[in-house]
Amino acid sequence: MMKYSLYPGCSMEATAQANLKSIIAVAKALDLHLEEIPDWNCCGATVASGVVGDFTQQVMTARNLAIAEAKGLDVVVGCSSCYLSLAVTNKRFKEDEHFKAKANEALAAGGYKYDGSLRVRQFLEVVINDVGFDKIKARVKKPLAGLKVAGYVGCQTVRAIPYEFDDPEYPVQMDKLMEALGATATKFPMKARCCGSSNAIAATEIVIDQAYKIFESASEGGADVIATPCPMCQLNLDAYEQMVNQKYGTNFSLPILFFTQLMAVAFDLPADAQALSYCINSPYQALASYGVAR
Amino acid sequence: MEQNNKPVKYDLNFAREIYNLENGSYIKQCMQCGMCAISCATREIMDYSPRRLFNLIKLGKKDEVMQANTMWNCTSCCTCKARCPRGVPIIDVMHDLKKYAIQNGYADYPQAAFYKAFWAEVAGRGKVFEGGVTARYYLLRGLDEVKKAMAMKDVGLKMLKHKRMPLFPPKKIKGLGNLKKIIKKAQEIERREAR
Ligand code: SF4
Ligand code: SF4
Repeated sequence: MMKYSLYPGCSMEATAQANLKSIIAVAKALDLHLEEIPDWNCCGATVASGVVGDFTQQVMTARNLAIAEAKGLDVVVGCSSCYLSLAVTNKRFKEDEHFKAKANEALAAGGYKYDGSLRVRQFLEVVINDVGFDKIKARVKKPLAGLKVAGYVGCQTVRAIPYEFDDPEYPVQMDKLMEALGATATKFPMKARCCGSSNAIAATEIVIDQAYKIFESASEGGADVIATPCPMCQLNLDAYEQMVNQKYGTNFSLPILFFTQLMAVAFDLPADAQALSYCINSPYQALASYGVAR
Repeated sequence: MEQNNKPVKYDLNFAREIYNLENGSYIKQCMQCGMCAISCATREIMDYSPRRLFNLIKLGKKDEVMQANTMWNCTSCCTCKARCPRGVPIIDVMHDLKKYAIQNGYADYPQAAFYKAFWAEVAGRGKVFEGGVTARYYLLRGLDEVKKAMAMKDVGLKMLKHKRMPLFPPKKIKGLGNLKKIIKKAQEIERREAR
């Protein structure tokens, strides 16, 4: 059994509980053991640094890494904004001695220290590299045959650290994962387009306009559902799909799922692991042939 | 054609101040190629593309730069940063410009209120509670935003129905005291380094 530390992040406790539930269940089914980092704090996302600056935000993020270091396990992240914060901070600890010394000086004020010994990884990458497509295929009980999936990787997942596990311009790994589940990955030029991120409250129009382009591209490719690794992408598309329709006179009704929810369906895990009731745009019809339970 | 022969006014102080921000000196590496401008997710609604903004900074055009919506409309999507041939970490520069704008009283954009609300949540709890961020945001923005909030009512109701919007905040983290200490120290160090 492979072991990891888990950094859930704020959204998984609130708007993206479906992400957490499906990640935990899928990990278990694949024999991956995830241990939540005790008393973790918010990473600051891409917002905190706009108020207090990158350094303070990265030190705050590093408190989590310092706590995790006691166990020495790779840190697994689901949210792509958390990933950006943690992975970039971690990289600076490894590559920039001056930064590391300064950051540890700040951490020491709270009694923490981080050596930079851990790896920060996305759950998507862990599933692909540590488990592998063959084992995933072997675990599938209900192949998603006939399901056309637009693999929406989003922006930060592949661009936080370019080429770390996929091409930042034209990512393909998520599509391969969908194929391993038996589904068909559709043509989807907007697969790495930004969803508008944290602008949902303050500048909703940005999210609506971005989401429109993404929905348009996904439906041109003939997708039945959109799959994503990111809580922010999921929420922005799911919550604003109808406002897109109002503004653009369109008729989109694509369900947006975490890739882990589709894995839970293909692995035939219980309804609680699939967590489909959290979807605002109902996925039940699109997934009817795979025996999903309400 | 009439030529505009007015000499360009360089406010070197402003440029110097910006270059002194955490990631500010990278701006000097910009070669004005325009890759960020054609890559940017929100270029259409920006007053200036990142490329033009960096040029205005070099020229010392403080008001144009600080009043621009460019940094506020940046979604931190990393596209430009991944593509910039000169290695300018554009999104990090945008973070600096937001911080500088807030500190210097250029904070009229709604996003600035959102940023402040978000930070108040993080600093007060160690975690972000969306309900708290939203409430603080509307308090900061005042009645002007109520109409907009009404238009969003349906989104909120749907989120509630699908258990996407917890009504109660998460518990404060246990190490909040320590987190506050490290934040305070980090800010001291940053000020020390900026000198
Ligand atoms: S891509 Fe980089 S070098 Fe080119 S204009 Fe933008 S910041 Fe300057
Ligand atoms: S990070 Fe900001 S400036 Fe760069 S492409 Fe994305 S939205 Fe544009």
